[in-house]
Amino acid sequence: MALRFVCDGELVALDSVAPGDTVLDFLRARPGRTGTKEGCGEGDCGACTVLVGTPVAGEERLVWRAVNACIQFLPMLHGKAVLTVNGLGDQLTPLQQTMACNGASQCGFCTPGFVMSLHGRAIGAVGADLPVGDVLAGNLCRCTGYGPLLEAGERHPALPHDDRATLDLLRQAATAGPACGHATLPGGSTARWFIPDNADALATLLAQYPGARIVAGATDVGLWVTKKLVDLDTVIFVGDVPELNALAESPDGLTIGGAVRYADAHAALSRLSPELGELVRRIGGLQVRNAGTIGGNIANGSPIGDGPPALIALGATLTLRSARGRRTMPLEDFFLAYGKQDRASDEFVECLFVPRPQGPDIVHMSKLSKRFDSDISAVCGAFWLRVEQGTITAARVAFGGMAATPRRAAQTEAALIGAPFDEATMAAAAAAIRADFAPLSDVRGSAAYRLEAAGNLVWRLWHQAQGQAVRVQEVVHG
Amino acid sequence: MHLPLSEMYNEPDDRNVLDRMRQGVIGQPLDRPEGALKVSGQATYAAEWRIDGCVEGVLVLAEIAQGQVTAIDRDAALARDGVLAVIADPAMTRRSAQGMAAKAPQQDAAKVEYFGQPVALVVARTFEQARDAAVALRVDYADAAEPVPFDPHAPDVKVEAPSSSKPVEGGDLDQAMRDAAFSVDVEYDTPGHASAAMEPHATIAQWQGDSLILHGSYQMLAYNVKEIADCLGISPDKVRIIAPYVGGGFGSKLGITHEAVAAALAARELGRPVRVVMSRQQVFQTVMRRSETRQRVRLAADAGGRLIGLGHEALVSNLPGEKFAEPVTQATEFLYGGENRLLKVEVARISRLTAGSVRAPGEAVGMQVLEAAMDELAEKIGIDPIELRKRNLPATVPVQGTPYSSRMLTQALEQGAQAFGWSARQDRPCQTRDGDWWVGMGVASAARVNMMVPAQARVTLRADGSALVETDQTDIGTGSYAILGQIAGEMLGLPMARVDVKLGDSALPPGAGSGGSFGAISTGSAVLYACEEIRKRLAKILGCAAEELVLKDGTASHGDAAPRPLRDVLGGEDLTTTGKIKPGKTAKAFSQASYGAFFAEVGVHAFTGEVRVRRMTGVFGFGRVLNAKTARSQCLGGMVWGIGSALTEELAFDTRDGHLVNHDLAEYHVPVHADVPAIEVILLEERDAAASPLQAKGVGELGICGAAGAIANAVYNACGVRVRSFPLTLDKIVPSLPDPFAQTL
Ligand SMILES: Cc1cc2nc3c(=O)[nH]c(=O)nc-3n(C[C@H](O)[C@H](O)[C@H](O)COP(=O)(O)OP(=O)(O)OC[C@H]3O[C@@H](n4cnc5c(N)ncnc54)[C@H](O)[C@@H]3O)c2cc1C
Ligand code: FES
Ligand code: FES
Repeated sequence: MALRFVCDGELVALDSVAPGDTVLDFLRARPGRTGTKEGCGEGDCGACTVLVGTPVAGEERLVWRAVNACIQFLPMLHGKAVLTVNGLGDQLTPLQQTMACNGASQCGFCTPGFVMSLHGRAIGAVGADLPVGDVLAGNLCRCTGYGPLLEAGERHPALPHDDRATLDLLRQAATAGPACGHATLPGGSTARWFIPDNADALATLLAQYPGARIVAGATDVGLWVTKKLVDLDTVIFVGDVPELNALAESPDGLTIGGAVRYADAHAALSRLSPELGELVRRIGGLQVRNAGTIGGNIANGSPIGDGPPALIALGATLTLRSARGRRTMPLEDFFLAYGKQDRASDEFVECLFVPRPQGPDIVHMSKLSKRFDSDISAVCGAFWLRVEQGTITAARVAFGGMAATPRRAAQTEAALIGAPFDEATMAAAAAAIRADFAPLSDVRGSAAYRLEAAGNLVWRLWHQAQGQAVRVQEVVHG
Repeated sequence: MHLPLSEMYNEPDDRNVLDRMRQGVIGQPLDRPEGALKVSGQATYAAEWRIDGCVEGVLVLAEIAQGQVTAIDRDAALARDGVLAVIADPAMTRRSAQGMAAKAPQQDAAKVEYFGQPVALVVARTFEQARDAAVALRVDYADAAEPVPFDPHAPDVKVEAPSSSKPVEGGDLDQAMRDAAFSVDVEYDTPGHASAAMEPHATIAQWQGDSLILHGSYQMLAYNVKEIADCLGISPDKVRIIAPYVGGGFGSKLGITHEAVAAALAARELGRPVRVVMSRQQVFQTVMRRSETRQRVRLAADAGGRLIGLGHEALVSNLPGEKFAEPVTQATEFLYGGENRLLKVEVARISRLTAGSVRAPGEAVGMQVLEAAMDELAEKIGIDPIELRKRNLPATVPVQGTPYSSRMLTQALEQGAQAFGWSARQDRPCQTRDGDWWVGMGVASAARVNMMVPAQARVTLRADGSALVETDQTDIGTGSYAILGQIAGEMLGLPMARVDVKLGDSALPPGAGSGGSFGAISTGSAVLYACEEIRKRLAKILGCAAEELVLKDGTASHGDAAPRPLRDVLGGEDLTTTGKIKPGKTAKAFSQASYGAFFAEVGVHAFTGEVRVRRMTGVFGFGRVLNAKTARSQCLGGMVWGIGSALTEELAFDTRDGHLVNHDLAEYHVPVHADVPAIEVILLEERDAAASPLQAKGVGELGICGAAGAIANAVYNACGVRVRSFPLTLDKIVPSLPDPFAQTL
């Protein structure tokens, strides 16, 4: 069955698509419609930003989200609509008019990406409720100095929008149900892809193709293709498997499906812990959070991912599933060693349960990076302390960027548990971090810096608990 | 009476022609005419031209740093699906051409001089096929017999005096340092930088008989044509480059580079058009870097805080034999006094990609260090840093004795201090605390040399009363389309809707090109001269003196005569002329520079050492403001480069094998908007007739020149940590932070 989607208002059907073909390459190959730019090919610059609309079951509308077309694979568009700067119509929108005139476009190369990010905000795409700054954090501009771009966004918060024509086209395309396809790679081998439409089907496919690569948001795997030039041969796209997109809040905590995108979980995660919400806000830019999933952030096993230390500190448990059954484990146990996780090749991340912090709990999370937004952490530290009658009765402390895996800090926790919540204990805990970790030196920070800064995060926690401003956004300007 | 229309700009043209015109468009913050195309994705960039039969080339980069390619397994590559050719021609470039080289850069890609140098091009029917074969291509190398070091500070590195600049020496600096009541003698490091223009380099090459057409992304077409022609051994008149839209340059597209030459060679071999688009990683690794620098600054002041001695010595680096040496001390020559002086640049010969011009070569890194050192001196003397600067502005350029054309530095410092609220600054560090943040303020002067280069532009007043401006001048985002149209509109009395501007095609008269902030003033002057000639011809038709002619809103009049539509005056004829200008005696007779001042307020986190710029003000004087909107954009963008230079941008080379570690936008950190606070830009009124007949000077680079110094000074004022190694990352600050629990010290 062919891959079908709507592109700038036209139905597209493609027969021979490889799982690693990118949306951007498809878009830029259209004659005279090269508005979508490639500035980096790896999700860093936002020049390739497009909007992808997914139909909402039982409703006459699409959920739109801004994504980086350079690291989205074509099959991920199946049954959806993609809107590019070339599809905005012959008349400039008010937003475009402002941007053409207020200095928001100089060389113009970043411009279509900014236009689409802001257009998304104007038509109520995911994240439209965020401040303009958050919506543009994933777009780089080397010319303008950003001010006029933010101003254009502020000036045009909303634009009327109608999805009915697109929905009609999608209905014609009849894309419900599972999908698959294949293509011959330049090397001569065949690459195939599958889109299961439920979790059982996913489990069956993985049993059948145990070597298959699972792809959720492709914000990691996309880079393997565009940067490391890895050929993908068998891919199972799980991003739209309904069970994996479930999100259930209860007084006890939050159950998050493995394929829930960070942007979709953001509100629930913020309610669970404002600290976690703020940390998630700094995972990539909106385009990355609109595609990247929590399951992918965990399953990639990266020692510098931001989700795992935070979730470990909160006491999250992970459920893996296969045709053989389910296993649930504390999240920290999933990470065995650098590049090695406790996952059999037929298993997938089904969901994650995160307990809700209770009244006396203190949660502190800090991401230290050179550049404030859109940067990988040098150190990411997460603390959960239960303080009862002035005594720390329980604690979990976890760090990213300090070891080969996201890891708990056992000695730091020992220094905290049972001790009074006071400055002396903080000093002991800050010192204990040096015993817990022997980090590496790299471009993001030296080992000495990482140790020093990780220790100082304990103090940041202390000051935050005393009600002091510890974050740059809290500091009053002027 | 001088002859203002002579090609050589030998005398300041103080007639202020533009101020006598009536249209009222010059200087106005008008919209760029190509804005609508850019926001709708319709502007066509180099890689996007649709050319029938075009095939795709992908460059193959060396995986060693120094040696010789001994074999390339062409056959295996050619056996792959779709592969058409493997090009490894001796004419392929090893290095990018420097700006205004106008001749072929170093060639013979088989000799590898730095890690990541292109050694071959694989061409296939599709991009994927080419990329696949390029990755698989087997290249054998022999290591170099006498490798040069990777590290400019290696003990065995060869250090040379550059051929491009001479030291400035005067008096006895050592003695002045001994005599000084106050002195500083400090060493600063700045890292390598990348232009990181958002559009990666791309070329489509197409031969028509023995003529070559290139759709490319370049800044200086007239020079680029000569460079390409020289590479290919053909006459420059057989080469045409088309580049109406360029997705940023910042120096990286001044000279031709690898993809253009390789595409042209491949297209010739295959007899069909070839497109080569570099990946972001390839751009980082192969095109151009700003050299890292190590700078020693010596400042000797008398008891009254006046400089009696000034030393600024820099070690920069480049590949062996490369002429360019980052002109670190360029602005130091004229900025402050101190007759006893030694200004000198030396260049270490190392194996890293070509060092060349990155936005504001020289001042970008020289000014940030000089201005940080001035802050150190002000502290020693115990005077306000603004006062120190004002006390040290010489009457003529030290040693040379050249007069200044016009210098708005004092005004910039004073107006900036007012606007920014400098009086609230604490004169000692660690006095202001906001939560966990130490807060401080810093100031720095801005200075950037002004240059004019030869330029031509053709202006046609069409019979229908509209005008057309044509030149090969590029618009790399700077606003050339807008400004050149405004000059013509002002001079010919036309609203902007009646002026068309055609740029970026080497078949048109050669403009200045976009580089060194000289594009607008040089090409703009050529437009002005062309318009003056047209005015003379109109005056002749009307039978009046050119000075009496009044052109406004498409009409011509003089004296009491009623205005007549230009269409009628022209009587069905076009008036066409080409204006030309070349730098002349004014270039040497006056010290010409654009000036300004930066003010920054930062917060430094007391525990983690994170630095955040909280607000910035920049005040700039660069002669006549041709378009207040595009000029402001240039300043704003430049100041953000200053933030990058101060806090985040740094090329990191592996000193073991010479490879560039952070060759992508994930790890080479250009500022994101969250790094950028509210920035105020104030433009001063100035006329500088020595600089150009427009009375305008360059502005494209001024916004960076010193900005990082203001931020570093603010960091010191906040927390008392003086980091003499840019960028000021948290790991360099945290070890010296004062007791975080003290609210003030
Ligand atoms: C520009 C940019 C910025 C980024 N910034 C950050 C950042 O600040 N902090 C951060 O932590 N990360 C960051 N990332 C990394 C990335 O976005 C996250 O790790 C993201 O959560 C990955 O999710 P995904 O769905 O895109 O994963 P994918 O790329 O789809 O998959 C990643 C890995 O997980 C596996 N996988 C995915 N889903 C499952 C599943 N359900 N079961 C089993 N295996 C699965 C895949 O097979 C693959 O190995 C950034 C990435 C980019 C491109
Ligand atoms: S091209 Fe840079 S994010 Fe896609
Ligand atoms: S306008 Fe040039 S990069 Fe944004």
